[in-house]
Amino acid sequence: MIPVRVFFATDIHGSEICWRKFLNAASFYKADLVILGGDVTGKVMVPITAHNGHWEVVFGGEKRRIENKEELEKIQTQIRNRGSYPAIVTPDELSWMSKEESAVDERFSAEMLSSLDRWLDMADGKLGGGQIPCILNGGNDDFFEIDPVIESSPCVTFAEGKLLDLGGFHLVSMGWTNPTPWDTFREAPEEELAPKIEAVARLVPDMERAIFNFHAPPYGTGLDEAPALDATLRPIHGGAVMKPVGSKAVRDAIVRYQPMLSVHGHIHESRGVKKMGRTLAINPGSVYGDGVLQGALLELNAKKGKVTKYLLVNG
Amino acid sequence: MAAEALGEERPALFLRKATGLVRGWSVRDSLIYACLATNFVTLGIYEFTFAGPAFPKGQLITAVIISGVWVSFLVIAYTGLIVTIPRAGGDYVWQTRILGSGLGFVMAATGWWFILWLWAPIYGNILSVQLFQPLWATLKWTWPTGGAAWFTTHNGIFVVSLITIGLAGILVSIGMAGYAKVQRWCFIGGLIGFAVIVGLLLFNSRASFISSFNFEAHKLFGMNNAYAATNHAAAKAGYTTSPLSFGPLGPTMLLVPAMMFFILWPNWGATLYGEIRGASDFRRVFAGMFTGLWITVALTVIFLLLMAKTFGWGFYQNLNSLDYNATPQFGIWPYPFLFAAWLVHNTAFQVILILVLSLWFFGWVGTLFLSSTRVIFAAAFDRVLPDRAAEVSEKRKVPLYSLLLMLLPAVGLSALYAYNTTFVTYTLDATLVIAVTYLFSAIAVVVLPWRKRELWEASPASKVKVLGVPIVPVSGLITIGLLVFNLVEWLKNDLYFVNKPSSLVYMGAMYALAIVLYVGARIIRSRQGIDLGLINKEIPVE
Repeated sequence: MIPVRVFFATDIHGSEICWRKFLNAASFYKADLVILGGDVTGKVMVPITAHNGHWEVVFGGEKRRIENKEELEKIQTQIRNRGSYPAIVTPDELSWMSKEESAVDERFSAEMLSSLDRWLDMADGKLGGGQIPCILNGGNDDFFEIDPVIESSPCVTFAEGKLLDLGGFHLVSMGWTNPTPWDTFREAPEEELAPKIEAVARLVPDMERAIFNFHAPPYGTGLDEAPALDATLRPIHGGAVMKPVGSKAVRDAIVRYQPMLSVHGHIHESRGVKKMGRTLAINPGSVYGDGVLQGALLELNAKKGKVTKYLLVNG
Repeated sequence: MAAEALGEERPALFLRKATGLVRGWSVRDSLIYACLATNFVTLGIYEFTFAGPAFPKGQLITAVIISGVWVSFLVIAYTGLIVTIPRAGGDYVWQTRILGSGLGFVMAATGWWFILWLWAPIYGNILSVQLFQPLWATLKWTWPTGGAAWFTTHNGIFVVSLITIGLAGILVSIGMAGYAKVQRWCFIGGLIGFAVIVGLLLFNSRASFISSFNFEAHKLFGMNNAYAATNHAAAKAGYTTSPLSFGPLGPTMLLVPAMMFFILWPNWGATLYGEIRGASDFRRVFAGMFTGLWITVALTVIFLLLMAKTFGWGFYQNLNSLDYNATPQFGIWPYPFLFAAWLVHNTAFQVILILVLSLWFFGWVGTLFLSSTRVIFAAAFDRVLPDRAAEVSEKRKVPLYSLLLMLLPAVGLSALYAYNTTFVTYTLDATLVIAVTYLFSAIAVVVLPWRKRELWEASPASKVKVLGVPIVPVSGLITIGLLVFNLVEWLKNDLYFVNKPSSLVYMGAMYALAIVLYVGARIIRSRQGIDLGLINKEIPVE
């Protein structure tokens, strides 16, 4: 039986350069399929104010005046590559958005969804209309409106809560995490996470060949070390103090079911690998803001039911 | 969905609620880190014992100020790297990303891992001379045989090195959470201790010091008229002190490579920063390191001026010269703070002051192996080292194998340091190897605008300009100048002791070991079907 080569990345947070790299990863690494583990959407929207004959934007801490459409296109690309959404607004719209939270929410949602639409169109072209399997999942930072958009894509498979058969391997996915200080979309207390995990784990016919694609890393494994924060969300002692922030429910599930492989994200700083019994658990981390796509290149052997090779890459 | 607006008049960006949107770490934390790293008490005063007598025509105060100005450019260069690629891992990440995987690994392994083995006995010796020796002398303890002087013996140095290694190992095992609080209190306590020293030296006259020095030296060491005897002994040994002034520049510049032993490290801890970067980030990162550096420079200058005023410049240098020539006046290291404490004839006061000042040591020693274990982890995740090197025990959360990779060689080098009489003179090797690592980061910052153009253009660092010229790459060039100057002096001038053949062999062996590890890993992994060349190969965008 031929080993299956998988490329797994996660937490690209709206970075268009990382998305483009993700789409090219299959051919670059000669992977048979690619998986994006959640937190697809960005966190920041950058308003570009349209005036008569020119535009203005503050980007990278610098106020810029844009004179023509070429420059406008260029700055929009730069903003997208950094994981932000450019939003062209009139001065009145900007004033209104600065006062009215719901106006920001509305515009943010619109920009996220149109960006995702564009991304999925790109995927269609890059992945040969679905010839290379591409699996996407939501993460705790992704609002629920993206689910049907991904679901409707002809070349991308939306994985949340499903059992997917990957040529002899069984992939189950969950984008929910344990609570964070930011009260994000897909987070729930540990006691609610456990049944969610149970629901997807029950679908797996053979744990020997199972892959858990859970956005939250297992608690206390070194894959979940984040800077400890004070009450004002400022890192304590210059970020030197790290603490485990992963999910105990995810950890318990891995220990109990012992899948062949468990892939995670969520904690960008905690790139690493951990052997948990027979399970190889991996968090490739994320540096999407630098335009670098961190990922894990994995070779899976269905006959042996094990990960025969792995490499963490900075593509 | 929550939104937050930033900016002055109108919002420059909107943030939605999402994980990881943390505020930048405080300038105060960064400042404390930088100040403890450029530790003027543990490292600075320790180095003056060597530097003053080795270059008697040089002027310490001028050298410290020149070093401070020059290292300020290193602070700018590193600030540029930090705000452009704000990742834990610092030099390793920047160099592998900008210059290439192999070079990055060799520089990180030598500068942040192997050379830290040598820092272990150096720290041990500092603990010995700044805590155990003065404490034993003050309390007149006679056990072990020889009392305070026992700590200057081979066994004494080795035992204290083992204590230091044990302490650093335990602190890595229990994590930074508790130690971080300890560090802050150590800094505050250390500053209070230094303030007491300043008060003592400021409000006592030279005559009062001479009288106290003679009194306590007689009481503790049975020596009569010790002040005059010290000056006499130095003169007899042929040592002539230059009076305190600001020049000449030539011999003073030769002190700069020695000052690097303590002043080259303001960038030690500042490698982590938030995800959302703005124009103010450069200023904040820079301010923490720069202020920490210049607090160190200021404390050093204050200390040296007070030495000149109350001890007498010639006397202070004479004390150091006797130790430099292996004939310390009281058989122990001439700890100036101990002698300042003698101005109060009260044993309890002296002991408390010695203990409080040792906080400068305890506030920093815990970080000795911290960065090394992180480099070992990073190399293991990159499959350059065996997977086991990154294992952390389930129950105790101890990174056992990476700690062993630090502890065992450190014990071996401590033995060499303690029992091989020449090895102790290679102290500046510990600075040289890290300076080489810095050199490549400085090169990385200079080529950054060309090698990673998009990243550079998006960075707040590219917007910091003077007369239209971006100051970060320019500061990188000036930093290269600083490091090359030091490297040339270290390697050509015998007085730094690093150019001895055995010293060069020792340092060369470390680079060879790093290269062998990397090349070996490439070959072994290739046989396993894993191409390590892929690790930092960029995926095409189009």
